[in-house]
Parts: sequence; structure tokens; C-alpha cells
Amino acid sequence: MSMAVSIECLRKIYRGGFEALAGVSLEVPVGSVFGLLGPNGAGKSTLVKSLLTILRPTECRGTLLGQPIGHRSTLSRVGYLPEHAKFPEYLTGRQVIEFSAGLGKVPAAMAKRRTGELLERVGMADWGNKPVSTYSKGMKQRIGLAQSLVNDPELVFLDEPTDGVDPGGRIEIRKLIETMRAEGKTVFVNSHLLAEVEQVADHVAILTKGRIVESGKVSELTSRGRHYEIRTEGPVPPGIREKFATQGWEVAGDRVSIQAHDAGPVQPVIDALRAAKISIREVKEARISLEDLFLSAVNPDGKEASR
Amino acid sequence: MNVFLTLLLDSLRLLRARVLFWITLGISALVALIYLSIGFTPDGMSILFGAFDFKSEMFNSQSPMAEMMYLGIFSDILVGFWLSWVAVILAIISCAPIFPDFMSEGSIGIPLSKPVSRLTLFFYKYIGSLMFVVLQVAIFCLIVFVAIRCRVGSWNPSVFWAVPIVTLMFSYIYSVVVLVSVKTRSVLAAILAGVLVWFLAWGMQKSDDFLYVASHPESVPNVAGMPSMIGSFGSPEEMMKWHKISSMAIFAMPKTGETTRLMDRLIQVKGAEGEADKSLVAAATEGDDEVSGRLKKASTRNSAAYVVGTSLLFEALMLAWAASIFCRRDY
Repeated sequence: MSMAVSIECLRKIYRGGFEALAGVSLEVPVGSVFGLLGPNGAGKSTLVKSLLTILRPTECRGTLLGQPIGHRSTLSRVGYLPEHAKFPEYLTGRQVIEFSAGLGKVPAAMAKRRTGELLERVGMADWGNKPVSTYSKGMKQRIGLAQSLVNDPELVFLDEPTDGVDPGGRIEIRKLIETMRAEGKTVFVNSHLLAEVEQVADHVAILTKGRIVESGKVSELTSRGRHYEIRTEGPVPPGIREKFATQGWEVAGDRVSIQAHDAGPVQPVIDALRAAKISIREVKEARISLEDLFLSAVNPDGKEASR
Repeated sequence: MNVFLTLLLDSLRLLRARVLFWITLGISALVALIYLSIGFTPDGMSILFGAFDFKSEMFNSQSPMAEMMYLGIFSDILVGFWLSWVAVILAIISCAPIFPDFMSEGSIGIPLSKPVSRLTLFFYKYIGSLMFVVLQVAIFCLIVFVAIRCRVGSWNPSVFWAVPIVTLMFSYIYSVVVLVSVKTRSVLAAILAGVLVWFLAWGMQKSDDFLYVASHPESVPNVAGMPSMIGSFGSPEEMMKWHKISSMAIFAMPKTGETTRLMDRLIQVKGAEGEADKSLVAAATEGDDEVSGRLKKASTRNSAAYVVGTSLLFEALMLAWAASIFCRRDY
């Protein structure tokens, strides 16, 4: 599998000795949506900024679209929406996108065509010629997304893309990300909103205190704690409960939990319950949520997350 | 679109959006229009297109002194005061926030993530900022150009020398403003530093002028007891020593005053310029050609190449320092 981003080692120590990134290594497959999760101050933005040469890493080995990280020409194939993006208030939305195109060395004709298309795509066609100063936070974010795509990038970095966006706007942004994936683009999303990332990302990594503590496919990570639950009508009788306990099946009230990767081990439990004439209300496969994974990764000792 | 054109266009849009740009432009245009409104009648002169008349035997449409006066207003008030001081101060105030705004969080990320080097971004942004002065002075000069044609009767394109010279002079000070704003991101600190360096350079220039005169008494016109007054500060030999020290110190400074004085050499008005100068020099030197030659030599003792070259060296050092900070900083 070819990688859009392959970081062998990325370290950033700020003046004063604060280590924002402690030798991170990471791989982002081409054509995937990658979510970098972490609490505030974990180093997510520092990582993205290091890849885009916005700040200078202390140590950096790796590649971006097949070229060494920091290779300037490669940035013409990359799009970027910064966190808290601030656009000059004197520009219109259209001019913001054209400005980004100009700096990205996009040919004038292509820039003009894509600006129109992107304004349409982010739902800002009617507002394109109005000054940014008249926009809401969500509208600015949409223009930010449009400018990040003006050079038709292969790799797009979105740093907290739904920041300040209302629920309807978030759904649109999610759809936009899905469209990008369908077009074969690699999307790197920085976010602390776990549910959103879970809905859209193929791969995730959890960054905390400058270190990657978990990474992999979302489906694999969440299946790690896969188990089955059977709910009965009323509590499981004590006799059955003791028998189940000896088999290693957990019983709590009307719920029986079976640790299993497939449905096979669940069948004897169902049979035993049916034999005891206990009505089964529900059988379901349960997976660990990204939130559970995140909390256990960020607070391995199980303490409540402080942020 | 070309990166340079993109940043230039952005600078123009930025200026267009600044209220101070329009205020300055309005005041400049007003000053130039007031200049245009000065006229001469057979009995005297008028201002505000004839709204106010003044009778004068010396300055009227029959007298060659009228032309001299009109051009004197241009060189002494419009160039010497307005373009050299007021317009530059307004430009410094207007342009000082450009770099701190550009470098603010959320704004700088997008330009830096593009395939353009930081050095290129820095210099294109700097050049774009100078557009403020170029536009202001160009529009001012255009009105003055028309005014001189209307009042003196000749087209004088040399007035447009004011555009590159005032921009050049502004750029010396603006390089300091940029350095401090890149270093501190504080608009106020940048303006204060720019004004401080400007006044320091002006003060050192004045001191150097005085020390030159004191060490070269032969260049002083023999009027109003000036030679003996200057001589009271010390012997010419002693003053010469101090002048050498002053010259060395001033070498490293931007020569704002001398740069704007280059306009006196470059902006000439056909027919009248020589007469005006000759009359003034003759009055000061009591017709002594040798002394008038020395006077001229004293006022132009530094070549244009030296004045501009050493000032540009200062500017280059400031910009190199600022660029180094801009390019090495984490955003």
C-alpha cells in the first residue's frame, strides 16, 4: 500500500525545552481519510504544521507524497485548512480562493474555473462576491475548505474543520470529505471531536502528550473490544447465573456478556437460556467506541479525562 | 496567477480597504489642489481659484518672481514639508500593521503552506507595502504636474522624480518598521522604532552639516557675522576631527534628508530654476562667484551614489535581519 504521508520520526522541541512531539512515527495510506485525534495541546496542529513547513521540526525523517518532508514544490499538491483560519476581511470569498490559487501557482484559467466550482460545492455561490467581514463563522470555514481545494490537491490537511460550524454544516463538511475520498484524495483530519472522525475516517491515530498511543484502521481498533450481549426478560435466575459464571460469561441483572470475535460462542448461551425457558429480549454485537478507545488511550489508568 | 502579482494585488486590496489610505490620499489631493488654486493676476495673486485676491507689486503675472514663488512653494513646502515629512509619517502609520497582520495566527498558515519560499513571500510583501507611497505620491505629482503647466506654462515631467525618491526615503524607515514588527509583532513598537531611527538619522545629518561648515569656514557666506559665530565653537582643525567622526557615524545611517534633497537636483523647472537659485546665492555671497561655488559644493558634497548607496546598505541590513527572523520563526 502506498503512503501519502510516511513519518519515520518527527520531533519538535520548542524554545524553553517543551517537547511538543516526542519522535512521532505515522503512516497515512493514499486515498484514505485519516483522523488524528488527541486532547487540546496534544501536538496535533504542531504535527500538521511541521509537515507543511509552517514550523520547523527539531528532527524530521519521512516523506510527503513520495518526497522528503519539507520539499517545497510538493506543497503544490497539498491543500490546507488551518485551525482558526483567519482571512483578510477586505477580501471577498472569491478573492480568498483566488489568493490561495495564486500562491499555489495554479494557472489563472484553472483558478477561475475551480473557484466557481468550489463556491458552488461548499454552498457559497451566492456569497462569493461579498466581503469576508459579512460572513458567519461557518461560512468562513466553508470558504476555508474551498481555498484548500483550489489546486486540486492529492492530499488535504483539515485542522479542526468543523470548528464553529453548526450541525447542518458539519454534515455537509462530512459529505465533502467523503466526496474527496471518492475522488481519490487523501484527507488528513485533525480533530478532537471523536464521533465525527469515527463517522468518516478509515484510519486513526491518537496523539497525547506528543506521542502516538494508538493507531490503525478504525474497524480494527474498535473491534478490539468486540463482545456479544444477550438481554433477557427479567433478571437471570441465580442457578443459571452461577452456571454461566463457571463458563466465564459475565451476568449482571438481565444482561449476559460473552467475549467473542464471532457469534459461535454465543449459541450455547442462547441454548442454555432457552432450555431454562427464559425469554430472550435482545442479542447484539457490541464494539468499543472510538470514545472508549480514546479515553483508555489518553487515561490508561482509567481516570476521568480532564479535558 | 503569478505569485508576485497575487501578493501585489492583495496589497492593493489591503490599501484600498484602509481608511487611512483614503484619508491620506484625500489630504494629498487637497494639498495639490490648493497648490493648483494659486494663481497670478496683473495686480497680484489669488488663492482658491480666485476666491481670495492679494495685491502685490512683486508677485503678479507680469513679474518673473511669480514663477519663482510658485516653484518655491513646490520645492520648499510641498516637497520639503509635505512629501518629506507628513506623507511619510502617514505612510508609516498606515503600513506598520501590514506585517503583524500577515504573520498573525490563522493568516500566515495558508501562505506558508504553499510552494513559495518564505524569503519570496517576505520580499514580495515588502514591495507590495511600498505601493502605498508609490500611489500616494504619484497621484500628488500628477496634480502638481498639471498645476505647474497651468500656472507656469510648461510641462515638467521631472516632478515625477518625487515618486521614486520619496518611496526610496520611505523604504529606509520602513525597513526598520518591518524589522521591529517581524521581531515583536507589535505595531506600536514598530512605529516608534521607525520614527526614532528617522529622527536620529535627521539629527545626525544636521550635526554633520554643522560640523562640515565649521570645519570648512571658507564655505560659509560672509553675512550676518556667521563665520565668526561658527568659529566660536572651535578651531577648523578641531571641528575637522569631529566632522570625521560624525561622517563615520553617519555612514551607517539612512540619509533621509539628503535623499529628499536629491529632488532639488533632479526636479528642474525650465527657465526659472536657474534664476531663482542664482538670485538666492547672489544675495548670500554678495556676488562672489568663488564663494557661491564653494556653497554649492558644500550642499552637494556627498554624491547621489554615496547618499543612496549607503542608505540602501542600511536598508539591506535591516531587511536581511528581518527576513532572517521571518524565515526562521515557527508560526
